[in-house]
Amino acid sequence: MEILTCHVLCVGGGGAGITAAITAAEQGVDVILASKEPLGYGDTKASMGMMVCPGIEKDDGPGNFYRDMIEGGELLNDARLAHMMAEQATEALQVLEGYGHLFLRDDEGKLSSKVVYATGGHSRRRTIGCPPGGGIAIGNSLRGAVARAGVKVLEEIVVASLLMNESRVTGAVCYDLPRGEVLLIQAGAVVLATGGGGWLYYPHSDCTPGTTGDGFSLAYEAGAELVDMEQVQFIPFGLTHPSAMCGVFVGEPNLAAPAGVLRNRNGEIILENISTMTRAAVTRVMAKELSRGGGTEHGGLLLDLRPNLTSEKGRQLWEVRRKRGQMEVVRLAYGDAAYRWEEPWDVAPTAHYFMGGIKIDHRGRSTAPGLYAAGQVVGGIHGGNRLGSVSLAELFVFGQAAARSAVNDCKGVRFSGFKHADCRREEVELLHSLPGKKGGIPPLRLQRAMQQVMWDKVGLARDKKGLVQALSEIKRIEEAWPQVAVSEQKNYNQEALHAIELRHMLVTAKMVIRSALLREETRGGHLRLDFPGRDDENWCRNIILHKGNGGLEARTEVVRH
Amino acid sequence: MHRFNPEADIKPVWKAYAVPYENKNTVLGALQYIQEKIDPSLAFRYGCRYRRCGLCAVEINGKPAMACYTYAEDGLRVGPLSGLHLIRDLVVDRKSFFEELKKYSLYLEPSDGHNARGTPVMEPEQGARLRSCLECLSCISRCPNRSSGEGFGVPLIYVRLAQLHFDPRDRKDRLAQAKLLGIDRCRNCNKCFCPNGIAIIKDAIKPLLGG
Ligand SMILES: Cc1cc2nc3c(=O)[nH]c(=O)nc-3n(C[C@H](O)[C@H](O)[C@H](O)COP(=O)(O)OP(=O)(O)OC[C@H]3O[C@@H](n4cnc5c(N)ncnc54)[C@H](O)[C@@H]3O)c2cc1C
Ligand code: FES
Repeated sequence: MEILTCHVLCVGGGGAGITAAITAAEQGVDVILASKEPLGYGDTKASMGMMVCPGIEKDDGPGNFYRDMIEGGELLNDARLAHMMAEQATEALQVLEGYGHLFLRDDEGKLSSKVVYATGGHSRRRTIGCPPGGGIAIGNSLRGAVARAGVKVLEEIVVASLLMNESRVTGAVCYDLPRGEVLLIQAGAVVLATGGGGWLYYPHSDCTPGTTGDGFSLAYEAGAELVDMEQVQFIPFGLTHPSAMCGVFVGEPNLAAPAGVLRNRNGEIILENISTMTRAAVTRVMAKELSRGGGTEHGGLLLDLRPNLTSEKGRQLWEVRRKRGQMEVVRLAYGDAAYRWEEPWDVAPTAHYFMGGIKIDHRGRSTAPGLYAAGQVVGGIHGGNRLGSVSLAELFVFGQAAARSAVNDCKGVRFSGFKHADCRREEVELLHSLPGKKGGIPPLRLQRAMQQVMWDKVGLARDKKGLVQALSEIKRIEEAWPQVAVSEQKNYNQEALHAIELRHMLVTAKMVIRSALLREETRGGHLRLDFPGRDDENWCRNIILHKGNGGLEARTEVVRH
Repeated sequence: MHRFNPEADIKPVWKAYAVPYENKNTVLGALQYIQEKIDPSLAFRYGCRYRRCGLCAVEINGKPAMACYTYAEDGLRVGPLSGLHLIRDLVVDRKSFFEELKKYSLYLEPSDGHNARGTPVMEPEQGARLRSCLECLSCISRCPNRSSGEGFGVPLIYVRLAQLHFDPRDRKDRLAQAKLLGIDRCRNCNKCFCPNGIAIIKDAIKPLLGG
């Protein structure tokens, strides 16, 4: 078995992990960047590439931006992290451009009010657009920047669990997918930048397949605290079919343009004036209609854009979207008439972002010694609802912060070589035995069963009965895990990967459900049909989870602003 | 469908799979169906499911294509990108190109005095277009001028070099780099192919050859 050693191990090859790795390497320490997908992919590359940059419009600045985040987040945000986000967003843009990316400029080559626009929940125009490729261009720049920084990169290596010495995180047990081998990495500090958990809702998610919530589960098992795990953002407009494209993102509320309306299966209008609403508000209306049985045979509602075609302004908007190539995906899935807005689109909300996650301080430190976090895996920055274009900026702000603390704190750590106790021998043996493991159930089948439970009972609209059932069904799937079967080949055995991911997903799923059960109100991304109102008197509180002696323990904390 | 497991097979085998018809479903959908319902050991990569990541590039009836952006039809032959090192089934090696990024410094080498907000930056449209290259590796697989050793990653290397050439902040002589790599061989070839609409010849090869 191979054993590697480094000062800082960064887990995750998206924007947050790459920023952390480069930042740490710049400080002269040994860094390993491990990613279960090829480097520079993940949600970062699949994103639209829009990034917030406050302060371009004259009356804008961090103060306004902060207030928008808190209002949008329905007061659940961690004030200190939100402040940091608001103040450092502009710097984030500079960091990314320094990595090689270039955002859209005006005719004079400047970032000016001509190139910023308003996105949902922002009171000012402060979102900068990307060249045509969106996140693709960002992913490419990030890969280049890693090559430039000379960081040691391990691609297609999945972290299965963390190494611990008493309560300190000291490295990771990894599974090398191309080779089918186990790998131990001993590290002075570990930065988790594993992204979100959208894949828990597959196919009802626009996230990439690596978003199986691994970081949430790794942090939990290491004893770290997690915050508001019930807060999952479903973005209103995703495709519902064909099966390979279900969940794929087609647009924000502003997609509806001035006159678009939403109809139910009977053609009745259920929502108008959509384009000015926030993601959460539109999603809630759709969720209620779907749970009332108003959905189509594909489980969606009908976004009717035809009314736009009767006005000059509407037709112009169509032209703009066509030019930007934003509707190609609709043409592929629904055909030419839909593409021309002459036929309604079958759409449903789709899991997009986890606002909840690992609790960190303003220096990127989790509550577990030796463990740091950045990117979507972090909780609390956005409270109950993330505003558009803020996530990409957070990757650079918090990626840098986590790396700086990690470097600082691991300076005194001495590598004494491995003690047997650290090695997690049973875990290593289990991973070794995955290829060729006998059993009756393909891991992917169990994943699908779990995802079905999450979508049906822990998705858009929740209630106590459904959540309690979901918890027991997840426990049943957990009990079935030992019976997963994996074929024998060692090289690139995706069944082994799926089995490892499933284990992470089940831990994360339980946290989402437990937290959703506790929050007896409707706020942000969390809609309780049995508690339909927002309850400021009792629930201006964060729900904090951690692993105690008896398993998952929860407490609540009053939000301070 | 192309199946290959270097641990057990001496050479690849073609296997037929029956997948139920669904209107407008994609080849990716068919691959997912096979992996979920017929043979869980089938290995393939994908990411975004809508042509935004480049991971699902395969050969469909002998031509590079994105599995997520091609409709599934009866009788399609799906195989891995040819000309690249095959790891298993439809999975080819992607690490080698990362090595080339390092070797040919295919990243921004900024000249002094450029900072994001202060100095205006004018990037020509071609540069912006090249930024949307998915790095799916299809072009490498199709290139008749590709060598097996040095610079195996052309024409993707050229796409990157041209993009950096158009980035006004970059200080390295990218034309000279292209020349050293032997771009002259490309002058009359015209065989560059991109399944995603990057105009490799017009936006990359010609400008690197000097217009
Ligand atoms: C369709 C779409 C469009 C979006 N558009 C925008 C936008 O325009 N603007 C905006 O601000 N935000 C946008 N977002 C959100 C934003 O893209 C993401 O929140 C952000 O990119 C997350 O970055 P990350 O680095 O935290 O995670 P990711 O980019 O998802 O990277 C996570 C990395 O961790 C790796 N990983 C995971 N688990 C493990 C493990 N166990 N071991 C090893 N590696 C692991 C993965 O392989 C991956 O490399 C969009 C999201 C989607 C899905
Ligand atoms: S899956 Fe991303 S390009 Fe096809």
